Amino acid sequence: MRLTKAFNRSLWVFHLNTGSCNGCDIEIVATLTPRYDPERFGIKLVGSPKHADVLLVSGPVTRAMADRARRVYEQMADPKVVMGIGSCMSGGVFYDSYNLVGPLEEHIPVDVFVPGCPPRPEAIIDGVVKAIAKLERLEGEGK
Amino acid sequence: MLDAYTLQTGTGFWDPVVWIVVFLVAFLIALAIWLLGEKEYPRDTQAVKPFLSGNVEPEKADVHMRAGNLYWGFTEAMKGYYSRLVPLHTGVLNDYVLWFLGVMALVFVIVGVAA
Repeated sequence: MRLTKAFNRSLWVFHLNTGSCNGCDIEIVATLTPRYDPERFGIKLVGSPKHADVLLVSGPVTRAMADRARRVYEQMADPKVVMGIGSCMSGGVFYDSYNLVGPLEEHIPVDVFVPGCPPRPEAIIDGVVKAIAKLERLEGEGK
Repeated sequence: MLDAYTLQTGTGFWDPVVWIVVFLVAFLIALAIWLLGEKEYPRDTQAVKPFLSGNVEPEKADVHMRAGNLYWGFTEAMKGYYSRLVPLHTGVLNDYVLWFLGVMALVFVIVGVAA
């Protein structure tokens, strides 16, 4: 269903941990606290990729999660953007681990990277703003 | 609505025309909601599959729970009883007739002794 433009900025985010140490996950939770309160802008976490506009991926891609990350990405409705969080998104210090299968962008297209180990909530919010800009561009292109 | 089709029951009425109109209105509302839906979406991808935390959707046959599964605790608790009783059910009619005759003979003996 096409929603009205009033909903455009209400980004619903699905968080997927593909092998994170939980550092980024804790910062995501910190971002949701009343100190930053992104929900006043309609930005919140949802429990299903089918409801989400943004796929928020934390951590390097482990062998077990690569296939699942692709599947979750495909299950999201268009238009959608992918945000990668954390320096280890590209492998980082674990780049040559036997259990990693390359950077996230080798598995799904990534639109916004938020580096940091872990990134501060301000950085995550900055990434969300960039995701909003990307979504508005995609909607303008009719995708 | 139409007297010819209306059944007066004394406590109310039954009119099939009313029901047809109700179903028609409900169908039109459902159709309007369906037409508001997104028509363009990838049909042959995971987009049409249920979300199971990223896992592959198992075959229905693999996750089907049989009625027997509901009795697992019951049969487990009475394992001693079932382990003896189930082997007796051979499915051979001759065996069942023999059991019947044997029990009947036992009953006659008990009744005869008691009398």
